[in-house]
Amino acid sequence: MDDQGCPRCKTTKYRNPSLKLMVNVCGHTLCESCVDMLFVRGSGNCVQCDTPLRKSNFRVQLFEDPAVDKEVEIRKKVLKIYNKRDFDFSNLREYNDYLERVEEIVYNLTNNLEVEGTKQIMEAYQRENRDIIQKNKAKLTREQEELEELLLLEQQGNEQRRLETLQEEQRQLQAKRKSKQALLDELERSHVPATILLAQHKDRAAQLETQIEKQKQVVKTTIFSTGIPMGQTVSLLTVNRLEEVLYHYQPIHMHTYGPPVPELEQLGRLGYLNHVRTAQPQDMAGGYNSGLACHRAIQDAFSGLFHPLG
Amino acid sequence: MKLNIEGLLVYFPYDYIYPEQYSYMLELKRTLDAKGHGVLEMPSGTGKTISLLSLIVAYQREYPLEVTKLIYCSRTVPEIEKVVEELRKLMEFYSKETGEKNNILALALSSRKNLCVHPEVSSLRFGKEVDGKCHSLTASYIRAQRHSNPSLPSCRFYEEFDAMGKQVPLPAGVYNLDDLKDFGRRKGWCPYYLARYSILHANIIVYSYHYLLDPKIADLVSKELSKKSVVVFDEAHNIDNVCIDSMSVNITRRTLDRSQANVETLQNTILKIKETDAAKLKEEYRRLVEGLKEANVARETDIYMSNPVLPDEILQEAVPGSIRTAEHFVGFMKRFLEYLKARLRIHHVVQESAPQFLKDIFEKVCIDRKPLRFCAERLRSLLRTLEIADIADFSAITLISNFATLVSTYSKGFTIIIEPFEDRTPTIANPVLHFSCMDPSIAIKPVFERFQSVIITSGTLSPLDIYPRILDFRPVTVASFTMTLARTCLCPLVVGRGNDQVAMTSKFETREDFAVIRNYGNLLLEMSAIVPDGIVAFFTSYTYMENIVASWYEQGILENVQRNKLIFIETPDAAETSMALEKYQEACENGRGAILLSVARGKVSEGIDFVHHFGRAVIMFGVPYVYTQSRILKARLEYLRDQFQIRENDFLTFDAMRHAAQCVGRAIRGKTDYGLMIFADKRYARADKRGKLPRWIQEHLTDGSLNLTIDETVQLSKHFLRQMAHSIHDISNCNVQCFCQLNLSQEDQLGLSLLTLEQLQSEDMLQKIAQIAHQA
Repeated sequence: MDDQGCPRCKTTKYRNPSLKLMVNVCGHTLCESCVDMLFVRGSGNCVQCDTPLRKSNFRVQLFEDPAVDKEVEIRKKVLKIYNKRDFDFSNLREYNDYLERVEEIVYNLTNNLEVEGTKQIMEAYQRENRDIIQKNKAKLTREQEELEELLLLEQQGNEQRRLETLQEEQRQLQAKRKSKQALLDELERSHVPATILLAQHKDRAAQLETQIEKQKQVVKTTIFSTGIPMGQTVSLLTVNRLEEVLYHYQPIHMHTYGPPVPELEQLGRLGYLNHVRTAQPQDMAGGYNSGLACHRAIQDAFSGLFHPLG
Repeated sequence: MKLNIEGLLVYFPYDYIYPEQYSYMLELKRTLDAKGHGVLEMPSGTGKTISLLSLIVAYQREYPLEVTKLIYCSRTVPEIEKVVEELRKLMEFYSKETGEKNNILALALSSRKNLCVHPEVSSLRFGKEVDGKCHSLTASYIRAQRHSNPSLPSCRFYEEFDAMGKQVPLPAGVYNLDDLKDFGRRKGWCPYYLARYSILHANIIVYSYHYLLDPKIADLVSKELSKKSVVVFDEAHNIDNVCIDSMSVNITRRTLDRSQANVETLQNTILKIKETDAAKLKEEYRRLVEGLKEANVARETDIYMSNPVLPDEILQEAVPGSIRTAEHFVGFMKRFLEYLKARLRIHHVVQESAPQFLKDIFEKVCIDRKPLRFCAERLRSLLRTLEIADIADFSAITLISNFATLVSTYSKGFTIIIEPFEDRTPTIANPVLHFSCMDPSIAIKPVFERFQSVIITSGTLSPLDIYPRILDFRPVTVASFTMTLARTCLCPLVVGRGNDQVAMTSKFETREDFAVIRNYGNLLLEMSAIVPDGIVAFFTSYTYMENIVASWYEQGILENVQRNKLIFIETPDAAETSMALEKYQEACENGRGAILLSVARGKVSEGIDFVHHFGRAVIMFGVPYVYTQSRILKARLEYLRDQFQIRENDFLTFDAMRHAAQCVGRAIRGKTDYGLMIFADKRYARADKRGKLPRWIQEHLTDGSLNLTIDETVQLSKHFLRQMAHSIHDISNCNVQCFCQLNLSQEDQLGLSLLTLEQLQSEDMLQKIAQIAHQA
């Protein structure tokens, strides 16, 4: 990195360690001070390739090879538009083809091959797929989701561990303070000679110490040897079988207080069906026939026809 | 001798057997019967290897359908060779006893470096170079090119093997590395590929840990081994560290720069290929679109199959569209590299988890998790398509891609630590990104799941219960065996004070203390006067050793020591150390006597044996704790506490004690051997430390040998050495001081620590044997 320098003022990283190199969309570098000087008015042309550039588009160069900076910039832009996920495709093959097309576009734009044509393709794509692009903006790919989940788990684990150690320390500190206080109290009140008390205290302190040491050594196990995490309750008791009476269907008996409602089977024979629209083949596919609707309508019509008043 | 172990007929190639060997076999048999895993500890020098081999081979013969294969993993090439020699002895015994030709195929496997017979390739010095060169001669596409252009160089051994070697299986027998090479030379076949091909139908394989544990290599070599295999990890006390190392990645600025160069090469190659042979790239593209796994044909010779453990479902899926074409992938790698570079440009230490890293990388350079996960796979495919012959150059980018795959695959068990400088040189910027594995069970899990029995064994595995916990498996047998001895030939002593009653310890607060250093010096001086032949002294670290030796020199202690013995020092340089060792042995050999100052966890402490007069006393100066301030270690300790409920202190002590035990165990390499083990630190006397030593040492550590002063130590040592110098006959029936040093004869041991078949079958001996195994 030491031998890198600004192509305009020829300052190198070696001579000026605080040199900041910037890179714009064309992939050519300039140092920060040159950028400030050349682009006072906010825009200008690249020193090397004469592309019109804007000052606000200058980025700090992250990589040694400015071409990679440029490519990443382009790629981010392209990926904003081409943001279909693997579940938008019916099979893997199509998804892979799509990925390759994206890669092709990035490659062309980076290496200045058929820039105009590529841009047109992009625009066309954007117009066609506006909805999907909008929809996928917030979505992550499945793998990224997995990663996020892992990171979250990791974070939780670390936090847990930190808290545990913190609590442990607190507890120990308190225990020590308590024993000290107890000694002072005893010295104040008790009639036993101080030396004995002190000796007792020393004993107790030593005991406490060993106890703490022991506790420290007992590492909490978090999973059983079978791989099942602790805390997750796994009941090994057999599940009691509930003895219940089986449900028995009883047909509803409707009371219409009037003439009997014709049965579903009879509808055709009695000529009711002649007066309703016959079912289309599409409707029949799902199990529908015109009798069903007709029957319901007739049931509706009959029910409550002769309802006794009062 | 033929043994009956719970109904199993075991051929044992020696006329006598140690009782603990019998007991060991008993436990082993039960483990195999249960088809479970086992942890077995038995002191070094009691014949672990032969017990293991003879029992498992017998089991294989008895139940060929239950156990089809024995996979014996050891650490180093010499150890592998030793195992093969024992096996050869066993096989000879078999054919002599049964009279029939046995049909067991056993072979050792090692890297190309050790097995290559190609005149040019084998003369290269480094393993990586050999691999690269071999690959450039034998890769599938190179061979395909040769069809059109026969003038390209080739490896005739591989060609020959490929043409002929696969039809005829390797004839049954025992092959060590040299045998394989001989066989290969004779037939004109490549021994390396022959061995790799033959392990599929071999009955016994002996190779290094890495072939099973390192996911990159295991995938390549050990993928198709059958489930009904018994896996043995010998000298496994360090197995958790091996596991962790195989999964961790360290990235420095240099790695990044080299990968940057790699990426540029890739880019240029792609451009070139596009002009000349665009069809090839298209073909690759088509394959990736289809999500087809590469055909199995080309796999064997292509090293690119190195694959950090990936869940299978991912491997079945197609490569994501964003890195499908070559250019896009190169752009992707570039972004990733630039991101890493930016991360390395920091001034303070950062520690974060894998999810945090992934989130940040998405925000900064819009890299999703999924393409990252396919990174290693994709790079391999690209390298193959581009037909890059010399893959050694691309190790940097391969490392980076492996890192990408690992970091996006595992959300747990790993941590990322970025340090701007080394702790020792806080002013020099030298940023390192450690992607460190904290859970050894991740690497070893496939092994436990895949094979029906896995045996972990070593001389020092105490405390036994910790290994199942950190490796996360359930053993069916956990046992520790002690050494039955005809005489107490080891004498552990804990020296806690100097003659001036100042406590001796390498505790951080007092390690610079003048009195402690002087006392350590006095101890060494006194011991050098009374111990015959060789003394090995271990320090806790190189820096500590340097400090102490410097102040000994100033105090004139070294000069006094040198009147008694020569002094040799181990250094971090391997060549210097082996030189020092050689001279040390020479000095011991010709009676001058010598002292070797070395370091726990160093080369000497792990692999070198000091039999008989090469090590009559081992002095352990201090407790060899690891450097506890390292952030990687801290992260690992935290992980152990949270996940496995192992307290920091417990683990640190366990780690220190296993290394201490390894160090002092160097001196006793058998029952006829004898040696002093001096622990020079008062902390060893504490119950929590003492209790973590192996049982065979603990047994001899009585209350009378704890917290001694230097004077007392000298008294006890003198007594012990004088006793040992006699043969047993002399002690019991002659009063005359006899200074001749006799080796323990067999008659003395018979019936006590050495058994014949008849003795073994006697009732009370069987009862005794039952007590040897100490079930943990």
